[in-house]
Amino acid sequence: MAKVLEGPGMGLLSKWGMAVPHYVVITDAAQLDSLAQANPWLRECKLVVKAHEAIGGRMKLGLVKVGLDLAAARNAAGEMIGKVVSEVSISQVIISEMVEHDAEYYVAVKSTRSGAELLLASMGGIEVEANWEKVQKLEIPLDSDPDLTQVETLAKKAGFTGELAKKVAAFAIKLFQCYDHEDGTYLEINPLVVRSSNGELTALDAVTMVDGDARFRHPDWNFNFASEFGRPYSDNEKAIMEIDSRVKGSVKFIEIPGGDTALLPAGGGASVYYSDAVLAMGGTLANYSEYSGDPPDWAVEALTEKVCSLKGIKRIIVGGAIANFTNVKKTFSGIINGFRKAKAEGKLEGVEIWVRRGGPFEKEGLAAMKALEDEGFNIHVFDRYTPLTDIVDYAIKGVKA
Amino acid sequence: MSILVNKETRVVISGGPAGTSAAKRMAEFCHLSRIPYNVAAFVFPPDAGKTVEIPFGSELLSVPVFKTIADATKEFPEINVSLIYIGPNRAYAGTMEALAEPNIKLVSMITEGVPEKDAKKLRIEAEKRGKTFNGPSSIGIVSAGESRLGVIGGSFDNLVLCKLHRQGSFGVITKSGGLSNEIMWICSQFADGITTAIGIGGDTYPGSDFATYLEMFEKDPQTKAVVMVGEMGGDLEELAAAWYAKSPRRIKLIAVVSGYCQEQLPKGMKFGHAGAKEGLHGEGSARSKAEALRAAGATVPATFGGLGPAIKKAYEEILAKGEVTPIDDEAHAPRHLPKPIEEAIKDGDVFAEPLLKTTICDDRGEEPLYSGYPASELINKGYQIPHVIGLLWDKRLITPVEAEIIKRIVILSADHGPCVSGALVTIIAACAGIQMAQAVAAGMIMIGPRFGGAVTGAGEWFSYAVKNKMTVDEFLAYMKENVGPVPGIGHRVKSVRNPDKRVKELVSYVKSTGIPTPHLDFALAVEERTTAKKDTLILNVDGTMAAILVDLSFPVESLNGFFILSRTIGLIGHWIDQNRQGSRLVRLFKHLANYTTGKRREVPPLDS
Repeated sequence: MAKVLEGPGMGLLSKWGMAVPHYVVITDAAQLDSLAQANPWLRECKLVVKAHEAIGGRMKLGLVKVGLDLAAARNAAGEMIGKVVSEVSISQVIISEMVEHDAEYYVAVKSTRSGAELLLASMGGIEVEANWEKVQKLEIPLDSDPDLTQVETLAKKAGFTGELAKKVAAFAIKLFQCYDHEDGTYLEINPLVVRSSNGELTALDAVTMVDGDARFRHPDWNFNFASEFGRPYSDNEKAIMEIDSRVKGSVKFIEIPGGDTALLPAGGGASVYYSDAVLAMGGTLANYSEYSGDPPDWAVEALTEKVCSLKGIKRIIVGGAIANFTNVKKTFSGIINGFRKAKAEGKLEGVEIWVRRGGPFEKEGLAAMKALEDEGFNIHVFDRYTPLTDIVDYAIKGVKA
Repeated sequence: MSILVNKETRVVISGGPAGTSAAKRMAEFCHLSRIPYNVAAFVFPPDAGKTVEIPFGSELLSVPVFKTIADATKEFPEINVSLIYIGPNRAYAGTMEALAEPNIKLVSMITEGVPEKDAKKLRIEAEKRGKTFNGPSSIGIVSAGESRLGVIGGSFDNLVLCKLHRQGSFGVITKSGGLSNEIMWICSQFADGITTAIGIGGDTYPGSDFATYLEMFEKDPQTKAVVMVGEMGGDLEELAAAWYAKSPRRIKLIAVVSGYCQEQLPKGMKFGHAGAKEGLHGEGSARSKAEALRAAGATVPATFGGLGPAIKKAYEEILAKGEVTPIDDEAHAPRHLPKPIEEAIKDGDVFAEPLLKTTICDDRGEEPLYSGYPASELINKGYQIPHVIGLLWDKRLITPVEAEIIKRIVILSADHGPCVSGALVTIIAACAGIQMAQAVAAGMIMIGPRFGGAVTGAGEWFSYAVKNKMTVDEFLAYMKENVGPVPGIGHRVKSVRNPDKRVKELVSYVKSTGIPTPHLDFALAVEERTTAKKDTLILNVDGTMAAILVDLSFPVESLNGFFILSRTIGLIGHWIDQNRQGSRLVRLFKHLANYTTGKRREVPPLDS
């Protein structure tokens, strides 16, 4: 799953024939002057200004301003762009028209194991969450299109009547088409509104999630994916994502400010067990990381440097199961180089390193790691005979085997 | 006994280098288990018609490569499993191709990053055909002692440690590849090992789920218990719990689920596997999955660390019930993997008599050592090409004076115009469109007793004379009687009145350095005597070089090398020159050939 921000998300809906509010995405408030020349709605409508970033709770952070005229919108945009919110600088703002509307509805399509599920409700906004049992659902098997009468029946069950039921059904089918052709995983329009001026169904706000793995067959996807956990990616995270995108295997890195335990584990499965173990022992996580699929040593080195740069950490857990084909000696040489660099830069002061690993060339890799003791690292090295997550117990409880 | 793959499994691998490297790992497993190789063919259109060589024990097997799976199964009808090692954009088509083959019952895919929709379609297609689609992102499947698909189990040493060459009693199903290996290791330490282990992959919609494989394990009498490693996201663990609870089951189920950390981390965070993600409404959490499994009667340790003891307990229970008897591992001694010869030499296990010996250049490290000196260090300390010649031809670091003399020899001998034998041949070859290496080599073939190749001969006889303290007269008499003309004496066009400027230049420089020059002095004394007889019997450039180089104590064998090396510079120059000019084919004018072939005559009949 990959999240698409509001601007490109609206673009996808519009591509598949759904009406969306007028909007523009800008990176500089001055761009509004020329845009207003070309787009009369910017001069004529009340406007909404929002930070176009994956930041959760934008309303509370003052990153959404409503009911503005052009001049006020230009001011609001100017104030938002460049503002730093929780260590992230806002670079884009989306300005859209406030759509005067009569009613709010809900429509969504969600990927399921056997195909998709269409969800429909004759209420919108926060009402939906509160009345989830009233949401009507229709299973759509893979490789089949929903039938108009079937969706109309669903709309009627959801409480729509007459002409409106037909219009809602037609809209829902367009949303499904968009989902199906754009490799969607979750598309949610909430609220779907009836525009007062012309009675047209309009997607006022939407959540757009697509399958990032399908990018190869969508050359028109000219957008980057946004983070899904309430804040945009940091520069460090972006640097690792950039490396990840061009190496064999993978390296992953998400920062969690304030944690005392940094993770540098191998493998997508083991890394989550290590995260669980840290929390079960009463530690707090400073990051989520992972390297797998025998990535090059320089990529692991870059990841190690980011992990060593995490502020306030007391320990680093270099864990991993018994690798199938990841070369332990080579990946560890990347980690060792990263540790050395970090130490030379004065990092790792008072930080304990705990290692457990197995796999191809495990003896050589573990011996090289153990040799760091002689360079003054506070490092504890264990092999396959120590169970996977026991090093977390030792590290946090301070018990040594 | 086992599930999914066994001794009858014959595999076609779709994919290039990654598939080949998996095939090598599979061969190691078959060797360890003393069973025939289970890979029958590869499908990789760019290499269709070729073979891939796979080490198998101490043999090398040739496995054919085909363009399509249909081609492979036509040749090898025994193929019943397909392994997909192709990129995410073509994995769908490759898998559909495999599913369409009547004899192929199982398709397992290692490819990561396959679009969800493609994976869903493939699962449905497999179900429609009554086949099994395992993966995407699957590390593979292994049935201990019977068959291995992919790299599951890792290195040979690990296969041995995990006792994968013989059957145990535990089935293993994991999403994670690394953890499948970990569980096999735990099963071999805390119990009697595994029957079959399956990586189902960590994607959101895997082709086959836990429940499907649990059902298969239930029907395999050898499997007494199954270890299942799940994680948050999706509902496959819940489906497994529902299957386990549905009716009394013969197999014990031991399960762990990861993702409790999700409770304390920001919602929506991405973990290692695409499928490891709670639903938007909190469904599929680790806690709810663990609870569902516990409620269904499975043993679910609170943490991964609890798995070892739980597996041990389960094993002791089935032992106590008499369902299994302890395995005598003495009777299943593992086989070792023949080492590559380099490794065996390094470990001191074998002695291999070398075929050749070198005393000048060692390239076994990160850079070549010339007579022990690293090339980069020579560069960084300012050494020049003459020093390298000294190191590689005479194994010594020459003095600055010697280096200067050699430099001058090379400069003076680098070229002598287009008309001499070597350059002429190179030019003719270049004009005939011959490539550089061949054209220059053709020119070099001309170097011999009459052109440039007298240096060694001259050096040999001058040093013979000096060593035996001969007088010039004794020497000339000896040469006349035993050898013939003195090499290094005489020139086709140069003479006393028309001296060779190169010789004058070299002699005067060498003399100016003040080094002892007994051979040069002797050669000049010989010249004095020979030119008295005939004007053109001067000490030529070959003879001069020879005498000087012998004075510098270069070995006689190396002497022609100075001319060959120097003149190569010129020959390469001529080849480049002709090519740059775009010269066309040249042939000798007829008036430059003297035809003395006799008159035209009739050919007699062949029979007579």
